[in-house]
Amino acid sequence: MLPQILKDKVDNVLYNVVDALDAGFSILDKDLNIVCANEKLSSILNLEYDPIGKTCREVYKCECKDNKYCSVFQALSSGKKQFCETQLITERGERRYIQNISTPLKDEKNGITHLLKLSIDVTAQEEKIHQLSLLRKLAELMQGTLQIDRLLHLILTCVTAGTALGFNRARLFLVDKERDIVYGKMAVGPSSLEEANRIWSEIAKKYEKLEDLIQASEDNYRDDTPLHMITRLMAYSLRDENEVIVSCVKNKKIIWERDAFHNPNIDKKFVNMIGANEFVCIPLIAKDETIGVICVDNLYSKKPIIEEHIQGLTTFANRAALAIENAAAYKILSEKVRQLEETQDRLIRSERLAVIGNMAAYVAHEIRNPLATIGGFARSILRASNQDDQIRQNAGIIVEEVSRLERILANIMDFSKPVESVKVASQINEILENICSLMDPYFKNGRIKLTKIFNSMIPKIIIDPTQIKQVFLNLIKNAVESMPGGGALTIETIVEDKHIKINITDTGEGMTAEIMQNIFVPFFTTKVDGTGVGLAVSHKIVDDHGGYIKVKSSLQEGTTFSIYLPI
Amino acid sequence: MKTILLVEDDKNQLLLYKQELLLEGYNIITAQDGQEAINKVKEHTPDLIVMDINMPKMSGIESMGRILSEHKKIPIIINTAYGSYKDDFMSWSADAYIIKSSDITELKDKIKELIGKI
Repeated sequence: MLPQILKDKVDNVLYNVVDALDAGFSILDKDLNIVCANEKLSSILNLEYDPIGKTCREVYKCECKDNKYCSVFQALSSGKKQFCETQLITERGERRYIQNISTPLKDEKNGITHLLKLSIDVTAQEEKIHQLSLLRKLAELMQGTLQIDRLLHLILTCVTAGTALGFNRARLFLVDKERDIVYGKMAVGPSSLEEANRIWSEIAKKYEKLEDLIQASEDNYRDDTPLHMITRLMAYSLRDENEVIVSCVKNKKIIWERDAFHNPNIDKKFVNMIGANEFVCIPLIAKDETIGVICVDNLYSKKPIIEEHIQGLTTFANRAALAIENAAAYKILSEKVRQLEETQDRLIRSERLAVIGNMAAYVAHEIRNPLATIGGFARSILRASNQDDQIRQNAGIIVEEVSRLERILANIMDFSKPVESVKVASQINEILENICSLMDPYFKNGRIKLTKIFNSMIPKIIIDPTQIKQVFLNLIKNAVESMPGGGALTIETIVEDKHIKINITDTGEGMTAEIMQNIFVPFFTTKVDGTGVGLAVSHKIVDDHGGYIKVKSSLQEGTTFSIYLPI
Repeated sequence: MKTILLVEDDKNQLLLYKQELLLEGYNIITAQDGQEAINKVKEHTPDLIVMDINMPKMSGIESMGRILSEHKKIPIIINTAYGSYKDDFMSWSADAYIIKSSDITELKDKIKELIGKI
């Protein structure tokens, strides 16, 4: 079936050469029908029928819809050789990259009569380029990720993503120098063959781009998969150099185990944990130090690991190690900054308290002496005066006012004097019970309904009971005062996160955000006869106990003060 | 009649205490600093001393120490505006520690308790 043009010039030898070419070969007539093709073409294009007699577009499944972009048309019209690349998905779902070269064939009169089309399978090269560009993108993504857990997950996702490095499963081990161990931190990959098949077909359908895949994998990330949990159980002493992971850390070399099940030199326990006969461990090296190990396998696809994959993984591992190092440094740094800020806050607060305290102490003492004199003489006038004398009344007023001033001074001096605290193991419930019974008449007077929800399981804690009592008294008094028309007071004790939490909740007036900001500032008060030291003192006491106070409040609804004391 | 030595640098306060304690029926002598107090004790040997702490020339604590080294039996009441001297162990040798107030009932009661009336 050779066309005339070839029959004239070639013999069977040429025919054989064409068939032996490692490229698809076809000849098109001017109507773009295939008049000749070799067998290689069918295998490259994955054809199940004889291409001869079919149209070019039908066989090559071109994506160019317009003649303007069709390389065959261009070759025909320009009379020059044209290149074009197409992608196709085979029946088995594999992506293939084909490069087509269309060359016009001319007769003796230099007229174009036919086209020669050569098709070369460039899938391998394309994949490599694709992989390289992916790795570059990954590196960019990694550089931009400073949250360490997110970064680690990203790394493992990339190692397992079919479009990137494409291993079935990846586990990440990190070195902990302080504890002198290397431990399983995280793992990504399916836990069974069924899951593997389901995930891969889903991924192939849904995610074209790496970014999408990573996003999806982040959204679906779960740390309760069997693989992850088994990995978290793995930890090895760095002194135990017989362990595979440890030797990978120490020797900084790739370990490529092809037949783990039959290798007598590998610890059986480790092989059981890994569960794959072939696996590769790659050290993550940053600044000459191994910071961790990535361990990969192809348990489900059973695809043998090849040199090329390991090369890709190594390049990737180097970048990953740097990124992890960066993120770790960032984490330490931000923790330090946070500590520094906290210390600064405390310093400023205690400095402010100290200045105010010193000043208050000075003023209070200077005033206390003359005040005692004024009040003392007023009392003696009061005593000496007649029953319903004007003088008696006026002296009485002086006595009263002086007493009020003295009470305020006593408060302020309590605040400013450094107190030696005596800390003993105490039961918070008991202290609260004590205060409640003490204040019972006070509650009844104010029409306050008291509810106590005490957790009987709370442990004794080391506190200064006198000081802590002062705190509770202050807060309970405030709560009652915020409910002038009566209301409900709830006192609750809870164990929460290594602290005992005491909630004091009222159904009173509540506070505005502005007031809330200032309630712990010394001498800030909203009460007509308040001194503004109650909450400041309470705050200081709780602070001295290593605890803290939180406030929640909404206007007209009430306020909750939560005191946290460390257990 | 029992004699009380009032040691107080604030003139007006001294006057107040003097008037009040005279009314209670005590014999009153006064001193305005720690040194003067020591001299007055030598002259009169009072039955009780009411001692301020924060004074010029010699503080009440020091003065009390010196007086007690010679007259161990004279009861001394510290009467001060400062609560913080309670932490000074020297103040523990006093028989009472009272924080100044316009209401001197506490002081009067303490005196009565220590030496009785007249």
